[in-house]
Amino acid sequence: MISGRQNNGWVIWLSLALALLLSVAPMPQSFGLARPLWLGMFIAYWAVALPHRGGMAAAFFFGLMLDVLSGTLLGQNGLPLILITFLVLSLQQRLRMFPLLQQSLVLMVILGIGQLVQLWLNTLTGNRPPTLLFLIPVPVSALLWPWVFVALQWARRRFNVY
Amino acid sequence: MRLLVLAVLCVVLMVVDARFETLKPLRSQMGLVLTPFYWLADLPVRTWQRATEQLTSSTSLVAENEKLKAEALLMQRRLQKLATLTEQNVRLRELLNSAALVDDKVIVGELIGLDPNPFTHRILIDKGERDGVFLGQPVLDASGLMGQVVEVMPYAARVLLLTDVTHSIPVQVNRNGLRAIAVGTGSPDYLELRHVAETADIKEGDLLVSSGLGQRFPSGYPVAQVTEVVRGSGQPFLIVRAIPTAMLNRSRYLLLVFSDSRTPEERATDAAQAQETADREAAAPAEAESEAQTPDAAPAAPNETPPNGEERP
Repeated sequence: MISGRQNNGWVIWLSLALALLLSVAPMPQSFGLARPLWLGMFIAYWAVALPHRGGMAAAFFFGLMLDVLSGTLLGQNGLPLILITFLVLSLQQRLRMFPLLQQSLVLMVILGIGQLVQLWLNTLTGNRPPTLLFLIPVPVSALLWPWVFVALQWARRRFNVY
Repeated sequence: MRLLVLAVLCVVLMVVDARFETLKPLRSQMGLVLTPFYWLADLPVRTWQRATEQLTSSTSLVAENEKLKAEALLMQRRLQKLATLTEQNVRLRELLNSAALVDDKVIVGELIGLDPNPFTHRILIDKGERDGVFLGQPVLDASGLMGQVVEVMPYAARVLLLTDVTHSIPVQVNRNGLRAIAVGTGSPDYLELRHVAETADIKEGDLLVSSGLGQRFPSGYPVAQVTEVVRGSGQPFLIVRAIPTAMLNRSRYLLLVFSDSRTPEERATDAAQAQETADREAAAPAEAESEAQTPDAAPAAPNETPPNGEERP
């Protein structure tokens, strides 16, 4: 699974750290509901582009970081992220071939599943969101996916990450 | 395979984190590493604020200055009254032989981050374990109670606000002492009072202050103002809504209160002991005069007093 040649791994880590930063960046209250799932999208990109690099271990690790940052139980963000990575990795061969919009649609389903798992975990820990509004980040992320994809692709080519 | 291992690991971590204390140190250490993240995420907002401060025109500064001066004048007038009231209060308490109210110690914290989850109302502040912040510590702003500390990291702490769905606080109507429980609704704008009887004397405009009965918040701080009382709604209890007096989503600086950690019973006992020693000290000269003939009684009295004296608050 791990190929011998690896290059410029720091770009991956930096982009994931940026995603972590974006997911705690202050936002106006009214947009707070629609905060895109940055970490999910960035990890999904690396899983699509470099399946041998962007792995589930990174998803797990950054999930824990997000847990500490947002004060949830350790693993509460990790579990959905692992699941997202797994689904993207198993669909990777097909996702690569899809045009961007179709990728967005597939990703919407995958991120939606992640959010549902998140909802179950939230319910178990006792603060269930009262409405279906917790799903808003999913379509927002799907809409942003083409831009994220293009930006990260540029970064990948520019720094020659493989 | 890897999915299974990591998923199980996640579940185990969650259970351990929820049920046991073993992961808390690890958590706080990771918090130490990640606090700069919040600082960095907040940086654009800070720079923007600084820039606007730099660019504010002198007219608006003058206006603000005048407003602040007027405010200070008003405050000072209230303070004058407060001094006499405090003195009166102390005197009345002395008459009643009850414990004196100790002024609480506070430190000032600054807001450094908001919880990214929109369904919880929690904030991050820049004071942590190193500043003596402890779990369950009450947090105020200039106009009322804000919430309590729920997680302590070395240089930061997380505060649960009053309006979070999982938060409740025992309150009292300032006008007549009616007790109730104010529960967060998940909306930043109002709290709800639970289980208030239909016949209860509560009306719009009433100020709710903390009652201190939960042993967590100090008593007497303003919590909320009643805005809506719905009677005869068919529900078994009144529907009472109240706006928090603290500016939960605007305050940037907040106060952490170090109140007396003793329970009311301990406080009462301490006060009683203090009173006893004071009485004995007052009576001692008289006794010494009367029992000057018996030499062994005199040394016994001073030996008894110091331990009691040390226990005084």
